[in-house]
Amino acid sequence: MARTIPRRDLLTTAGGGFGAVALAHLLVREGWAAAPAPDPAWPLGGLHHPARARRVIQLFMNGGASPMDTFDFKPALEKHHGEALGPKEKPEGFTTPAGTVMKSPFPFARHGATGRLVSSVFPCQAREVDRMAFLMAMKTTTNVHGPASYMMNTGFMLPGFPCLGAWVSYGLGRIVDDLPDFVVLPDPRGLPYNQKGNFSPGFLPARHQGTVVDLGRTEPIPDVFAAAPYPFAHGAADHDTLALIQRQNRRHAALRPHDSHLEARIAAGELAARLQLTAPSTFDLATESAATNSAYGLDRPETADFAKRCLIARRLIERGTRFVQVWSGPQGAVNNWDNHGSIPKELPPIALSVDQPIAALLADLAARGLLADTLVVWTTEFGRTPFAQNNQGRDHNGGTFVTWLAGAGVKAGATHGESDDLGYQTATGTTTVHDLQATILHLLGIDHTRLTFRTAGVDRRLTDVHGHVVSEVVG
Amino acid sequence: MRGAPGHRSRRLAVALVMSAAGSLVAAGPASAGPPASPDDIAFFRAQVEPLLARRCLACHSHATERMESGLALDWKSGWEQGGDRGSAIRPGDPDGSLLVAAVRHADPDLRMPAEPLPAAEVATLVEWVRRGAPDPRVAAPTAGDWWSLRPLERPPLPTNAARANPLDAFLDARLAEAGITPAAEADRRTFIRRVTFDLHGLPPTPEAVEAFVADTGSDAHERLVDALLAAPRLGERFARHWFDCIHFADSHGFEHDVFRPHAWPYRDWVIDAFNADLPWATFVRAQLAADCFFPDDGPVQAALGFLGAGTYDHSAAVTAPRSFENLDRDDLVTQTMGALASTTANCARCHAHKFDPVTQDDYYALQAVFAGIGKGDIEWDADPAVAALRRKWRRIADLAATAPAALLALPEAALVADWEATGQGRAVWHPLALATFTSAFATELTRLDDGSILARGTPPEREVVTLTAAGPLAPITALRLDLLTDDSLPHQGPGRAPNGNLHLSEFDVRVFPAGAAPRAAPLARASADFEQSGWTIAHAIDGDPATAWGIHPEEGSPHHAVFVPAAPIVLAAGDTLTIALRQVHGGAHLIGRFRLSATGGDPDAAVALSAAAAAALAVPAADRTPDQAAALAAAVLGPRARGELARLPAPQKLYAAAATAVNERGTVRIDPPREIHVLHRGDIDQPRAVVGPGALSAVTWLPSRFDLSSGAPESARRAALADWLTAPTHPLTWRSIANRVWQWHFGRGLCDTPDDFGRMGGLPSHPELLDWLACEIRDTGSLKSLHRLICTSRAYRRAAHAPPEALAIDPDARLLGWMPRHRLDAESFHDAVLLTAGRLDDTRGGPAIPHFTQRPGAQLTPILDYDAFDLDSPGAGRRAIYRVVWRGIPDPLFDALDFPDLGLLAPTRGSSSSALQALVLANNRFVLHNARALATRAAAEPGTPADRIAWMVRRAWLRPPSAPEAADLTALADRHGLEAVARALFNADDFLFID
Repeated sequence: MARTIPRRDLLTTAGGGFGAVALAHLLVREGWAAAPAPDPAWPLGGLHHPARARRVIQLFMNGGASPMDTFDFKPALEKHHGEALGPKEKPEGFTTPAGTVMKSPFPFARHGATGRLVSSVFPCQAREVDRMAFLMAMKTTTNVHGPASYMMNTGFMLPGFPCLGAWVSYGLGRIVDDLPDFVVLPDPRGLPYNQKGNFSPGFLPARHQGTVVDLGRTEPIPDVFAAAPYPFAHGAADHDTLALIQRQNRRHAALRPHDSHLEARIAAGELAARLQLTAPSTFDLATESAATNSAYGLDRPETADFAKRCLIARRLIERGTRFVQVWSGPQGAVNNWDNHGSIPKELPPIALSVDQPIAALLADLAARGLLADTLVVWTTEFGRTPFAQNNQGRDHNGGTFVTWLAGAGVKAGATHGESDDLGYQTATGTTTVHDLQATILHLLGIDHTRLTFRTAGVDRRLTDVHGHVVSEVVG
Repeated sequence: MRGAPGHRSRRLAVALVMSAAGSLVAAGPASAGPPASPDDIAFFRAQVEPLLARRCLACHSHATERMESGLALDWKSGWEQGGDRGSAIRPGDPDGSLLVAAVRHADPDLRMPAEPLPAAEVATLVEWVRRGAPDPRVAAPTAGDWWSLRPLERPPLPTNAARANPLDAFLDARLAEAGITPAAEADRRTFIRRVTFDLHGLPPTPEAVEAFVADTGSDAHERLVDALLAAPRLGERFARHWFDCIHFADSHGFEHDVFRPHAWPYRDWVIDAFNADLPWATFVRAQLAADCFFPDDGPVQAALGFLGAGTYDHSAAVTAPRSFENLDRDDLVTQTMGALASTTANCARCHAHKFDPVTQDDYYALQAVFAGIGKGDIEWDADPAVAALRRKWRRIADLAATAPAALLALPEAALVADWEATGQGRAVWHPLALATFTSAFATELTRLDDGSILARGTPPEREVVTLTAAGPLAPITALRLDLLTDDSLPHQGPGRAPNGNLHLSEFDVRVFPAGAAPRAAPLARASADFEQSGWTIAHAIDGDPATAWGIHPEEGSPHHAVFVPAAPIVLAAGDTLTIALRQVHGGAHLIGRFRLSATGGDPDAAVALSAAAAAALAVPAADRTPDQAAALAAAVLGPRARGELARLPAPQKLYAAAATAVNERGTVRIDPPREIHVLHRGDIDQPRAVVGPGALSAVTWLPSRFDLSSGAPESARRAALADWLTAPTHPLTWRSIANRVWQWHFGRGLCDTPDDFGRMGGLPSHPELLDWLACEIRDTGSLKSLHRLICTSRAYRRAAHAPPEALAIDPDARLLGWMPRHRLDAESFHDAVLLTAGRLDDTRGGPAIPHFTQRPGAQLTPILDYDAFDLDSPGAGRRAIYRVVWRGIPDPLFDALDFPDLGLLAPTRGSSSSALQALVLANNRFVLHNARALATRAAAEPGTPADRIAWMVRRAWLRPPSAPEAADLTALADRHGLEAVARALFNADDFLFID
């Protein structure tokens, strides 16, 4: 279902003229404007079938979150601790040859009505497990951060392909006009592996790219307002100048009828003015109650940053942003989930930084009724080895890892798949990265095989030529 | 197509055999049935044919040369005859048709394709069969039967050609057929703005506009185009078009998005190539294999940057090298075949191309072309004379080390006789009187009667021995270090390692003048009588303690080395000479016994000769054996070559790909080239047959597997591919570039999928015109002549206003009855803002300009801050083509204006609009800063406020303001000043769009 040049459609539907109806159609279809009131049969929208979820918050644990130290309890590791059971030759993408089997340093306990085993590093998420559906046997195609991050975000191991958020923006368009439809909240300590390549629209039109929000700046969305040294672009001057630009562009277009690009520029100018009105309040947390701030962990230095970004994610979703991606951890050797050196030393602090905020986000979304149409996805680019590295660390392992889903359309409490005894490879119910992507699109009312864009001779899809919806976790 | 007849007759024979078999098995071939209705044909074309192409043809078609189970589904006869199981379809009877059974996965033995089709697709096929399987594909398919693979022949001009530019002849014929009356000619103001942006990526100056408007000459347009084509800004414009096609950028991309400081010489080469109108074949050949085709032409080596244009996954290269190399070669195949031949050969990595005649063998043959190169910096000399000298002396140095007898055949052999005739090699050495000799590790050092120094006791792991001599001393032009044997040393030494070896890491000379700061005495060169393989004497003076001079396996005999300082060392009274013998390799690789001496004679005479050379020197020249002559030649010419090389200017570095290249991993050598296997399903763990270098077998009249001799260098593979691509009969190369040039001028190619001329690509709107242009480039080689033809055509001069009745017929302007309107691309916007603000810096070439500040990141990728960039810094006003393009951390301004993600080839720029883009254009610091600059200039203009505003509008929009515009802008200026006016001018569509 490659999208074609809108102009042809418009001229056909509008009988050669270029009326308001055609313009509205164009704006919706091309993602410049919000869709009209939803069809009652498809209350949450959708492209190919009625959607189960309308919006998405994706929590991305950058670096490769260890499954066997968090959600995937492996008693066999205790039994074989210290034994050399790993591959003899260094597999592709391991940074060193495999060490001996290493048990988890953290105790596991059962939680919730489902009795799910969760390690001691996630005490808060443990209280929310009944809301979640677990993919216990996720598998990816590489053990290297860059390609694996690309795979999880874009469905390809190579740069240049559109990410999930961009595909969703392309497929569904905006919910509202006055906020970006795809927002990325990177860790303020640094960008993830692949830098902004993970948020790229690839070959999709540039308007589908992730808007990278930096909460450390006065203006979190870049260039919504001019910088201080340019007073002629502030306040009344800004208002009057933008208004003049709109008038001028209308004069310009009036002399050049039937040009959809010119019409689109004028529409974009209108939306820009509205975005200027909405953006500041979205990022102003003063209206949140002390109880909310405290529940997320804004009042604790260990959790404050991720808490703030989870809270902003909720506010964005609440106001109509379609897709928000929140990153935990920058690239690099520290402050992330890439725990080569020491699981007992490196994992607890990064786990602590996200645990309470994530649990609070789920509870808050539920309390506000947002979980009914919001999908929350917790994932990472790959797992880690059951074999020790550098004494107590773990190396990269795409063989098996854990992802959980919660919220709209998700079968709460479900579990799908199992890793092998050591947690080295998937054993049953393998979920590929493409399967996860297909499932997310499915919940959004999109058939992943039909969301395509023709480029360089191929109808490209997020899921390449793969992917099956994991019906076991769909509620 | 040449080569096709044989193929067709083979197919016919197969069809006959199968027909006979079919009549025995089933009740005769399926009936053709009644003629299909137009509706049924339309249904087939719209729904069934694409589905078959997508799901079935990879394994059941002529194009892929695969007909599994004997079944072809790419024409009607194919499924009528059927495969091993008989007719695939019984028209009108879905339940009785094998094809339907297969896609339903009902029979466990007949499930096709392996991955079940979506229910909707099964339903489509059922409906098609139910309708009687209408199928208009009655012509026999052949592998090459596709427009872009047909031989290229120059089509005759349409009959109206006599009076027109040949392009107009083709275009007008089609317009007339379609009943379109084209738009009138654009006015001169519009034309000069259009053509200047098009050819230079910049607007004309207001003065140039007025001059052109006032030019009454009938050939004014032609003169303007010629002047623009002759200006160097042309190359700066078209180079960026090319870089998009080959995803050229200044950083790696991926996890470790590292800067490539030496990418820019390629950028400059491409600019120069376009300006010089380098013939297209030469352009192609230089980029793929300049090292093979033009080894003696230094500057052309920069073309090899093409091979390093793409991404580089440093992390995978280290930890997952097999998959890395596979994907890195894949990227080069994709780039080369996409950019140069508009072919998606890379689609055949995991299976035969589903739509085009590219086999997996073809694909891996293309990988084999690049199997001997890896990305990194290579060295290259800009000055051809320097390049020649470097090659000559490198060869001599190599021969001296590896094949000295070959030196005697060189002209430089005469230098040996000269050297000997001037008494060289016979320096007179005087022992240096040492004031002190100390060990950093308290080793016992004893001075023996002959003045040598012997180490005793338990050797330490490492050692630094420091020697001093007190001034005054006669000037020293060379120092000699003798390593002597002694019975107390292992294997008589001269080293202290268990085998008698030693490693001299650095020979470090300093002068301590009385009452002044010490200074190093740099060494110009060194020589030794013997060098351990890989542990040469040069390592003792390279400043790198990790490298050293060694003598293995020649332990047990004395050795010596000579060190020549860059300038004679002079010691006055009170001065001290200090020499440190650093031996830090470890493992007790230490000097056991040594003596130091000095000479003040001609430093060229001071050479350490090998034992053989020294023996040869003792024999009169006429009596020497060839071995002796060779040994002496090596001893003389080896150090001479190293000295000559050291004196040459530093070579230019270039980021490219080569058998040996230097990158973050050090020196990476892929020699000999990797053996390339066909990979089953593209899986590196499922290698199948080995393939040699080659290209597409679908071009049947060119050899698709390269016939290279076994001793051929790696570069011969790339050269063979370049020869294949630039063959005058190549069906793709010339069409590809002709189509790109057209796209660069009109915004859209005659074929609108510039990287894909295959079955999934678009069909050319004017196939004869495309072929005519392709022949023109093939026959002239000249892009400039094509630019000129296009820019002087009547089609190019038309107004951008679509006549309403024409719009109804051709809404997309494929027939070019009017000029398509365009938004400025990111570079043109950037450069036009600078020019309009009076801040454009026209400096050409050189290292790329960062538009950001940077600080170290957590790992190799730095943190870039575009907002902190000093917009007044030197170079900030240079054209965008000279900026650093950081793949993974794009400039927000360029990002907003659809600058592509250069992770992949980006042959077509997007042109989107969004609220965020509007805000970036309105508020980006670059725009505001230059708005201020324009306002400042305007404020200095004479006249009334209205005059100043009119001056600004003429600069920005290249026309005077209308009365309402002037009133509007004046009111804005009254309230908020000229800066606000300048900001508005840059944000108006009058600035942003080109008619």
